[in-house]
Amino acid sequence: MIKIVKQNEVSKKQSILIMLGAIAIAFVISGIVIAAFGKNPFQVFAGMVQGALLKPYGIKQTLNKAIPLVVLSLGVSIAFKMKFWNIGAEGQFYFGAIGATFCVTYFPNLPAYILLPLMMVVAMLFAGIYALIPALLKVRFGASETLVTLMLNYIAVIFVDVLQSGVWKSADYMGRNHVAKYPENALLPKLFGVHIGWIFALILAVIVYILLKKTKLGYEISVLGENERTARYAGMNVTKIVILAAVLSGGICGIAGMLQATGYEGTMTDTMSGGFGFTAIITAWLANLSAPIIIVVSFLFAALLRGSEAIESSMKMSPAIAEIIQGIILFCVLGSHFFTNYKVIISKRVKTSAEKGAEKND
Amino acid sequence: MKKKILAIIVAVLMMATLFAACNGSENSGELKPIAKEDMKIGFLYIGDIGDMGYSFAHDQGRLALEEAGYETVYVENVPESSDCASRIRDLIENDGCNVIYATSYGHWPYVVEVAKEYPDVYFGHATAGSEILAENLPNVTTYMGAVYESRYLAGIAAGLETKTNKIGYVAAMALPEVVRGCNAFTLGVRSVNPEATVEVIYINSWYDPTAESAAATTLMDNGCDIMAQHCDSTAPQTAAADRGLKSIGYNSPTASFNPTSYMTAPLFHWDVFYLNDVNSIVDGTWAPRNYWEGLDAGMVDLDECINMADSTKAAIEEARAKIVDGSLYIFSGEIKDNKGEVKVAAGEKMAAEDIWGMMWNVEGVIAG
Amino acid sequence: MAYVRLENITKIFGSVTANDKITFEVEKGEIHALLGENGSGKSTLMNILSGIYAPNSGSIYIGGKEVAFASPKDSIDAGIGMVHQHFKLVDVFTARENIAAGKGSRGFWSSTAELNKRIADIAEKYGLAVELDKKIYDMSVSEKQTVEIMKVLCRGADILILDEPTAVLTPQEIQILFDILRNMKKAGCAVVIITHKLNEVMEISDRVTVLQKGKCIETLKTSETNPQQLTEMMVGKAVNLDIECVPMERGRKLLSLDKVCVKNKENRNALDEVSFDVFSGEILGIAGIAGSGQKELCEAIAGLEKVSEGDIIFKDESIVQLSPRDIIRRGITMSFVPEDRLGMGLVAGMDIVENVLLKAYQNMPGMFINRAEGRRIADDIIERFQIYTPSASHTVKKLSGGNIQKVLLGREINLNPELLITAYPVRGLDIGASYKIYDILNEQKQKGVGIIFVGEDLDVLLHLCDRLMVMHSGKIMDIVDPKSVTKEQVGMLMMGHKQ
Repeated sequence: MIKIVKQNEVSKKQSILIMLGAIAIAFVISGIVIAAFGKNPFQVFAGMVQGALLKPYGIKQTLNKAIPLVVLSLGVSIAFKMKFWNIGAEGQFYFGAIGATFCVTYFPNLPAYILLPLMMVVAMLFAGIYALIPALLKVRFGASETLVTLMLNYIAVIFVDVLQSGVWKSADYMGRNHVAKYPENALLPKLFGVHIGWIFALILAVIVYILLKKTKLGYEISVLGENERTARYAGMNVTKIVILAAVLSGGICGIAGMLQATGYEGTMTDTMSGGFGFTAIITAWLANLSAPIIIVVSFLFAALLRGSEAIESSMKMSPAIAEIIQGIILFCVLGSHFFTNYKVIISKRVKTSAEKGAEKND
Repeated sequence: MKKKILAIIVAVLMMATLFAACNGSENSGELKPIAKEDMKIGFLYIGDIGDMGYSFAHDQGRLALEEAGYETVYVENVPESSDCASRIRDLIENDGCNVIYATSYGHWPYVVEVAKEYPDVYFGHATAGSEILAENLPNVTTYMGAVYESRYLAGIAAGLETKTNKIGYVAAMALPEVVRGCNAFTLGVRSVNPEATVEVIYINSWYDPTAESAAATTLMDNGCDIMAQHCDSTAPQTAAADRGLKSIGYNSPTASFNPTSYMTAPLFHWDVFYLNDVNSIVDGTWAPRNYWEGLDAGMVDLDECINMADSTKAAIEEARAKIVDGSLYIFSGEIKDNKGEVKVAAGEKMAAEDIWGMMWNVEGVIAG
Repeated sequence: MAYVRLENITKIFGSVTANDKITFEVEKGEIHALLGENGSGKSTLMNILSGIYAPNSGSIYIGGKEVAFASPKDSIDAGIGMVHQHFKLVDVFTARENIAAGKGSRGFWSSTAELNKRIADIAEKYGLAVELDKKIYDMSVSEKQTVEIMKVLCRGADILILDEPTAVLTPQEIQILFDILRNMKKAGCAVVIITHKLNEVMEISDRVTVLQKGKCIETLKTSETNPQQLTEMMVGKAVNLDIECVPMERGRKLLSLDKVCVKNKENRNALDEVSFDVFSGEILGIAGIAGSGQKELCEAIAGLEKVSEGDIIFKDESIVQLSPRDIIRRGITMSFVPEDRLGMGLVAGMDIVENVLLKAYQNMPGMFINRAEGRRIADDIIERFQIYTPSASHTVKKLSGGNIQKVLLGREINLNPELLITAYPVRGLDIGASYKIYDILNEQKQKGVGIIFVGEDLDVLLHLCDRLMVMHSGKIMDIVDPKSVTKEQVGMLMMGHKQ
């Protein structure tokens, strides 16, 4: 009989080893898959590393992906710390972009040093309010935030669609539904060849770190995430904390949308998230919801995404194979968490005392 | 605690070094002829090459280049967002491409963006002719097949074969390219059957089999007995076949999917342009242009006609010959729009720019 | 040999012997009551019979043959069915779906017709009335219980164990249940009913077995015993513990409850017009069977439970409407050690410092947490209460039970409360650790703190407390003087018998 038993405490070193082992296994399995498609796995991996990390252009591209990923992961990590399953980063991202575009559309002539901060504040506000919906539904009616946030993602994309085919439709695209390009004063400047969203991402990481580790609110979020009964018992205002944390979480995801719109896209489109809102859930989780680790994990994940893009053309690999590799890595790493929490014991059938007695006589 | 602060600092430093490394490598220079063996051509497709539609047709063109000994690479599913610009830069920086062809209308702003960064790289963009020309860039050409000519011929087939005098048309988006094609098709229909109307549904996507199928179903429910399309999947053809009705495809020959109901399809021969274009790069005669060729150049065509009366086939052949020899100019007056207003007076011919940018529907089009 | 026989069953959890060589028999066609206080080992014994636990030693015989259960499935296959106190039903399913799910049909497809026939047969045989197409969430507690019983019977059980089946039922519903049990007895089933309610034992059972502190005291024919004797056996002889009740002049009236009512989920009164006072410098003990309203009482005072009627006055001010935080600020602290010990009051995954901060952080200035201050308090508590831990940044769940409870109690006492409410502070602790806690409580009492002590062990309550309040079914039975009352008298009060 096979029994699954809760593992005793695993040391940090052990859990890191398990994680590394999982990544190694993932690469072995991916290698087999790649070989099955008739490619040399070593060449493919080398191509990914080269495309993502070695060439200057590749690094820029990796960073362009890492910036929204870091910010979104930071956003969801706040909610996750409270065990509020905000799967709605994608939608909050789009609402951030809507907020930014709102400012650009109605105050296009403000100087950049006023317009950009305004865009950020409004993006946070829009996305925060969007995240308020599931929070209110949860505290008021006990609605599952997982479902509500998930479904709100689709509504957000449709909302963008409505705007770009309606009031914000630009005449520059010959009938095509498209929002106008942002003017120069609404674009983030670049530093070292990458838009300065990276500075905001790092600042946000520090802020989120301080928020969760040093402030009363962060402490309350952690306690609430661990044990709601205890939080109530300690006199915490659970409703207020849930709402605050959800709005903060959504607001930061909204900043990601704003940064992407003004730094990378230069406008708002209905495909601009590239699914980062979902990827961020994975990176936040892999980073154990710790802000400094989120930076590292998001960067590595961006490199993985970027690397798979690079091999698509250079190795003539279908992007589907790249997605398979990503999936395998995730599966193994997340699966390894099982082994840090549980161990499998293969035990024999329980014996009756008569059988035990018979054994003794042997 | 201290360790964590340290970790943040290390992360910041790490990123800063990376950024520093990213700087530089700005391309400067101008266009030079490229020898065939030095040429590397990158293609960007909106869909995947197995769509049996638009991207498939372009990929046939790419394969023709490979056949002719050129080195090519391609990326599929390139969205019409800044990712498009990234993928173009990718092809240049990472794969060393010096010729780029972007094939979807919505790719054009990103082609313009990247073309300014790389003045020594040749760019071609399909379908957004006037937008690209307006930018007046020395290294971007634009190309398109005058497929409306083929659509006119397909319209003749539909006009002669319909029994209900209602023809369904599943269209992607209300863009000049689509409107123009639909108008030519309708003119073809009404040249042989003045009673017939063409009902159009826009699905707001180039490739969405589910929406295409749903639109076709609606049209057939409204009494249409022939389905034509300006979108990239075979779904409308299959929907028609399911009801035993006839259909006209688009982009590439797809008779094998629905052999008993497929009649024909307006086709592109993108290879005609691609070969022409790369040859001009090799011999140094390349210049930005608005390449918009039709049946006479072989850039567009009508697929083999099946499942229709011989008399229909004969009518099509007759019209084709007239278009090729110039005696039939499709957009010549008198043409009314579908509100009854005369847009082209009798005896006049519409100018090429007007045809290119037309956003009104000819009489006989019922657009939802 | 009896139809079911458990022989010399011993089960040890860590340092606690839950079952100590217990021998227990049930015959076919018999209703057997299993009687004992909380923690006497009843549930452990029945969990062994239903295959949830494996005993450390001892044997189980069914129908004369020795059996060994590796899992509950083996037990079910042997014809044993357990109806738990908390029903194991799927809320959104209908009764039929729940029964079908429980049946574990052979083969992938279940035959509805066959199942319907089976249910109809059983319903008629035992007098069970189930509305098969009603969803569980639409059902009353009694209906759910009937479904649970039906589910067990459909699996072919002929040995039925019911854990506190009457705890949640109205008197009428209890009579219906008893009729069903009598029908089962007639049909030759063996029925075990776990209960504390003596009148029900007297009414329904044929024999009764009394457990006390993991040992089997005796098995008696119900007709040959009386409630008095059973109570004595349950609570045992008075033990002389060396716990001091420090004599103190009691001070001013701190807390006063006036006809306080609290409703439970079923909208019945979990607290029913409870009125009493607490004075400074005294320990007011609360005795009662688990679930008699102790938890609701503590939570009502701490502001965690909504009071539906009545008033709570603390130092001349009503605190009924105040938030938990405001109540803490006024000097009332509450520590409740639930059965799983870590459920409330502590955050298992956090370290001692963070747990100490739980009460302290609100009084820190600004929006930041002062961890250094928390560490100072934590070190203080560790020293003062001799908590054995490598450091203050050790995760609480890795500490031993006694140390965990000392962290909890230490934190509350460190706030210098005027009223200290503590429930089951020695739950699961060994003797040494328990005495340390009693000392702490006495020390607080001497400082003039008013203490409400909710306990399980009658001997401890009688020794430690200045006054002892006995609760039963959400009501106060009496407040007695521990110096003059006998253990049996308290036991009778706990069972709901008033002299």
